Amino acid sequence: MGETLFLKRKVSEDYSHYDFPILKKVIKMRREDVIAEIKASGLKGRGGAGFPTGLKWELALKEPGDEKYIICNADEGEPGTFKDRFLLENTPLQVMEGIIIAGYAIGANKGYIYIRGEYAKAINIFQDAINHAKEEKLIGDSILDSDFSFDLQLVKGGGAYVCGDETSLINSIEGNRGISRITPPYPIQNGLYGKPSVVNNVETLTAAAEILAQGGKTYANLGTDKSKGTKLVCLSGDVKEPGVYEVEFGAMTLREIIDEFGKGTTGELKFVIPGGVSTAILTDDQLDIPYTYEDIANVGSGLGSGAVVVVSEGHDLLELLQNVSRFFMDETCGTCFPCREGNRRVYHLLKEAVNKGGFTSDDMKLIKDIGKTIYLAARCGLGQTSMCFIGSVLEKYTDELLARR
Amino acid sequence: MINVTIDGQKLQVPEGTTILNAAKMAHIKIPTLCYSEELSIYGGCRICVVEVENERLLQPSCAVAVKEGMVVKTHTPKVREVRKTIFELMIASHDLGCKLNCLTCSRGDNCDLQRLAQELGIREIRLNALDKNMSNDYSSYSIVREPNKCISCHRCVRRCEEIQGIGIFTKANRGPAAVITTFKNKGMGNLECVNCGQCIHACPTGALHEVYHYENVWDALHDPTKHVVVQTAPAVRVALAEAFGEKPGRIFTEQMVAALKRLGFDKVFDTDFSADLTIMEEGTELLGRIQNGGTLPMLTSCSPGWIKFIEHFYPEFLDNISSCKSPQQMLGALVKSYYAEKNNIPKEDIVVVSIMPCTAKKYEARRPEMTGDVDYALTTRELAMMIKEVGIDVLNLEGEDYDKLMGSSSGAAVIFGATGGVMEAALRTVYEILTGEELPGIDFTPVRGIEGIKEAEVKVGDLTLKAAVAHGLSNVRRLMNMIRDGKEYHFIEMMACPGGCIGGGGQPIPTDMEVVKKRMEAIYESDLAHGYRKSHENPEVQQLYDEYLGKPGSHKAHKLLHTHYTPRGL
Ligand SMILES: Cc1cc2nc3c(=O)[nH]c(=O)nc-3n(C[C@H](O)[C@H](O)[C@H](O)COP(=O)(O)O)c2cc1C
Ligand code: SF4
Repeated sequence: MGETLFLKRKVSEDYSHYDFPILKKVIKMRREDVIAEIKASGLKGRGGAGFPTGLKWELALKEPGDEKYIICNADEGEPGTFKDRFLLENTPLQVMEGIIIAGYAIGANKGYIYIRGEYAKAINIFQDAINHAKEEKLIGDSILDSDFSFDLQLVKGGGAYVCGDETSLINSIEGNRGISRITPPYPIQNGLYGKPSVVNNVETLTAAAEILAQGGKTYANLGTDKSKGTKLVCLSGDVKEPGVYEVEFGAMTLREIIDEFGKGTTGELKFVIPGGVSTAILTDDQLDIPYTYEDIANVGSGLGSGAVVVVSEGHDLLELLQNVSRFFMDETCGTCFPCREGNRRVYHLLKEAVNKGGFTSDDMKLIKDIGKTIYLAARCGLGQTSMCFIGSVLEKYTDELLARR
Repeated sequence: MINVTIDGQKLQVPEGTTILNAAKMAHIKIPTLCYSEELSIYGGCRICVVEVENERLLQPSCAVAVKEGMVVKTHTPKVREVRKTIFELMIASHDLGCKLNCLTCSRGDNCDLQRLAQELGIREIRLNALDKNMSNDYSSYSIVREPNKCISCHRCVRRCEEIQGIGIFTKANRGPAAVITTFKNKGMGNLECVNCGQCIHACPTGALHEVYHYENVWDALHDPTKHVVVQTAPAVRVALAEAFGEKPGRIFTEQMVAALKRLGFDKVFDTDFSADLTIMEEGTELLGRIQNGGTLPMLTSCSPGWIKFIEHFYPEFLDNISSCKSPQQMLGALVKSYYAEKNNIPKEDIVVVSIMPCTAKKYEARRPEMTGDVDYALTTRELAMMIKEVGIDVLNLEGEDYDKLMGSSSGAAVIFGATGGVMEAALRTVYEILTGEELPGIDFTPVRGIEGIKEAEVKVGDLTLKAAVAHGLSNVRRLMNMIRDGKEYHFIEMMACPGGCIGGGGQPIPTDMEVVKKRMEAIYESDLAHGYRKSHENPEVQQLYDEYLGKPGSHKAHKLLHTHYTPRGL
């Protein structure tokens, strides 16, 4: 089984003469038909939440108001995720094409792309791409001889993981502190500057463009019933060949992805984090499941934004836990009590455990109670998922952790 | 209407009602902390979470509106456990696990965290404290901030921003370093803070409190070489009893005076006296400006929070402010001149203490252009502390009268304590001076009540006097912008605090709009009970002019009773 080259199809192409063929076609279509095509494809958001993209666009189009925004989320802050960078650096014009198409479909004349601040190379490439597109009059007033005008602005990310959350990202673009907003209202109703706004991931928009090139049906024929199409997987950790690989949903198991694309592990495999540090781990005996949203959910985890991190024996579990905990502690925005105080406390408990050489069952209980509280009561997705990894490690390796004393 | 089921009770509530308010209608009080009825929803503390059928996660009841058919459970095992864990986490980051602090804390007897602990049935904290190790902010003349006690509920941030329209506080950093602080951590004393103290009322803990002067006052009282004179502002008498467990709205003037005498003050004067005096001076100034083409509209000058506000935000309007000192400063100045001379007491031996509903009065007393008038300004709360320390059974005390010379007042003076009161008092006098007749009805109700901006027109002889009143600085800002945009008035009353002085930052806790309304009723009741209803009828004020000042606006009056202002900008 090789890579399914749907998104990566054009990576090797020379982009200097790219003239937005998909957009040319789309701009002659009715907005409703564009959206129907996306709906037919079954595309779901690739930023982590998996919301159906066609439906999102449809809702935004129906919102009253002349002023709407399309925002491309390129903050990519989840550790182990680097697929958006890959797309930005290798197919910037198709990412842009996806943004403009989405803008057209929902009736937005202004778009933003919010790129993670650390992605200096991607930022330069994309800014060049914007300049190029402006010179070629692919961005601006009445583009491609249509009556559709579109402006696109690049915003450098504020440097916080939480800014990847769509409501925090909107605050950040507005120049405010990057903290989540209370939903509802959702951005679709009340987003950037109070206007209806669609936030989509880089991969989502790139796929959307390609879907309009090849047809929604073609895409829907790939994958399974509930997971249509392909997904970029960021394979990293203890594998021999880490990288970004395109996988057709359901065509490969997690183990096959690791063995065939990653060329196997560098040590004896201990567990896999199937969707980045906001998801629960899977142990060796859980890896023979097809790579789909539903199969991974069935075993109690999620595929998140596509970061598959392989961890082999030989790492200190407590140190790993402390590492991840530190990440979440530092990245909480500080707004809500369970996430701010909870993650801080868990980090301290783990640090103490490292110093003491292990846990007591009381410590374990405390961390589990706090984890449950953060999950159930935190204000935004960051907090709600912050204890997935730690909680699952504690559960699956209880004896090993307690035995260290 | 929407059908909901809360803890098994079915009810109908209007669309848009939050779960929290729907529960209230079902007679269930869901515990809250960062929530405040008067502020925007923050959704930070998560104490108010409840279980909603078919929702995976608990829902913050303050932030979620009910939906048709929603089934809510407010105290399932899950909810109880989560609330308790949140509380534990919060307390452990609130300085010393609260054990030691409660004893020395400014909010030891009305702390929201203590209340919440009881509401949640907390009997154990499993977590040791994590110190924040931040230093206190002593930069302000009026307010101290103790950030280690701050739990980041954002109530002060929102109150300052939304009610007062200033925004002194901000959140900085993220993760464990996330804190509430001031712009660039400069400290409250080095910014556009107007010292109104509304943040103190917003704070659930002791992270914000006034700069205490009561120790200095004890020292003065026990110093045999000092002659200590005290004055009490109009708004204090209708609020002090609350600090002793009484319901808001009790008029407590005579008991308060008796308690002050027992505390050992040599003379107890009434700031109401100088409020009447203010009307004489300010009324004269207003007439002068109208008759001689002076700068209009004239803006009142008795609220020191408002004065600092205009100095920062509208310095181009400083000429519009009445040059009258505030009643606190007028009385202080007269004690150290008129009273001192009359009784042959050297000015240096006199200590003037004022009891104020206000934290900004502490700052006002330190203004270089008026230093020496008032030595210490205590809040209503500080007076309550002193009375409690001595153990005076103030609720059952035989009432006493203010001392003569500067102890009499009119009903017009007492209403200074409520928004619209200065305006009404001024109209009663100005009308009569100009027309020789009493203001029809005397009561001038269009300027009463808690509406943010009130406007009124009065026919005074040939003149139609246009007046406006604003209270709460965000309303004040709106009115200032109207003036800047060309709206014309003759006379405007501005008060920094919502409700006027009765809602001041130095008043007993809690102070919210419900409480303020009760105090307001008491103020107007007290006005009716006064023998004189108009400032110019106050016999001691007449005596002061006869014996000492000559007439309103005289040279001597100007020297003692008037001041000037400083453009501050941003
Ligand atoms: C803490 C947090 C971080 C997130 N980071 C990202 C991110 O880096 N990129 C992204 O596309 N979505 C991220 N999301 C998801 C977005 O909120 C949003 O769902 C997504 O951008 C929508 O686009 P999609 O429908 O195309 O997936 C994050 C969510 C949370 C709660
Ligand atoms: S869950 Fe964490 S990141 Fe989200 S609002 Fe709360 S503190 Fe901020």
